[in-house]
Amino acid sequence: MAEGSLIFISGGVRSGKSSFAEKVAADLAKQTGGNLHYIAAGKAYDSEMEARIQRHKEDRRKSGMSWITWEQPARLAELSEFFGENDIILFDCLTTLLNNELFLAEDLWRKQDFQEKVSSGILQAIAEIHQRCKAIIIVSNEVLNELIGGNKLVFTYGEMLGRLHQKIVEVANQAYLVEAGIPVQMKGEPA
Amino acid sequence: MHFVTGGAFNGKSRWVRNFYQLENVPCQWVSAYKGETVTGFHKNGLVVMEGIEVWIRDWLKESGDNEVRTRWQNHLRDWLDWEKEDIHREIILIGTDITKGIVPMEAEDRKWRDITGWAYQDTAVLSDRVDLIWYGISRKIK
Repeated sequence: MAEGSLIFISGGVRSGKSSFAEKVAADLAKQTGGNLHYIAAGKAYDSEMEARIQRHKEDRRKSGMSWITWEQPARLAELSEFFGENDIILFDCLTTLLNNELFLAEDLWRKQDFQEKVSSGILQAIAEIHQRCKAIIIVSNEVLNELIGGNKLVFTYGEMLGRLHQKIVEVANQAYLVEAGIPVQMKGEPA
Repeated sequence: MHFVTGGAFNGKSRWVRNFYQLENVPCQWVSAYKGETVTGFHKNGLVVMEGIEVWIRDWLKESGDNEVRTRWQNHLRDWLDWEKEDIHREIILIGTDITKGIVPMEAEDRKWRDITGWAYQDTAVLSDRVDLIWYGISRKIK
């Protein structure tokens, strides 16, 4: 069975990474005729977040394509059975998922075996979805080019996120860094 | 001299190990992350120094901004002189980019970030090659 493609897209806040990811997903769905799925890891816990989610929903509605939306703040693997082999999956975003998984329980994040369980769980979920569908597009954030300092929590989170990004980029068919709305292709053949 | 930079946990060291095939090539690896400092070099060959930003931070605890920058520039010159003495000598400097976040609250952190940025500019000017590492992928920028 031909494996689908895995596309990694990262960028700063408001860099246009989500719009770019949506466009990539919609273009692929037009080619394959499969369903378009949107997996949101974000939970609306305040009005600002709610507005942000609404804006993203509105953008997707305007794209003229029909999206199937899933809200999955943790345990991504649970969704994999719902996807078909021609489907395109857009997952937004890894930073939020890692945050939700890692800080699920008070102090567990300090334990190395828990950290490893979280990381391998995320990678496995991505691999499972990747195997089942035509394409999975993973959106994440650029947060590692600043002072991390002495805060253990921030350090642990940064280390885990960086390692996850490295592992995902390693298996990705394409990887993009979005700067000011411009996707810079870092890996793969130009689409 | 070869300067390798990029964000934290982006695989810079791993990239250097692969690029220079350090499994098979002997090298002197000096890591600021392990509290090591440069005291002198082995006779010949490759020298990798990682964690420039950590040395800068430590130096700023003892001296002022200008002194620290000058101290770094002097090191760079000394290392270049050493490198030039033998064709088998090569210095690889790895520095984590800490310059793209929100302005830090603490004056000390702002200073650290500033001097690190300048030190990287100084390093890039004197390097023959500069690579930017993004999650294990390199982009040669000089």
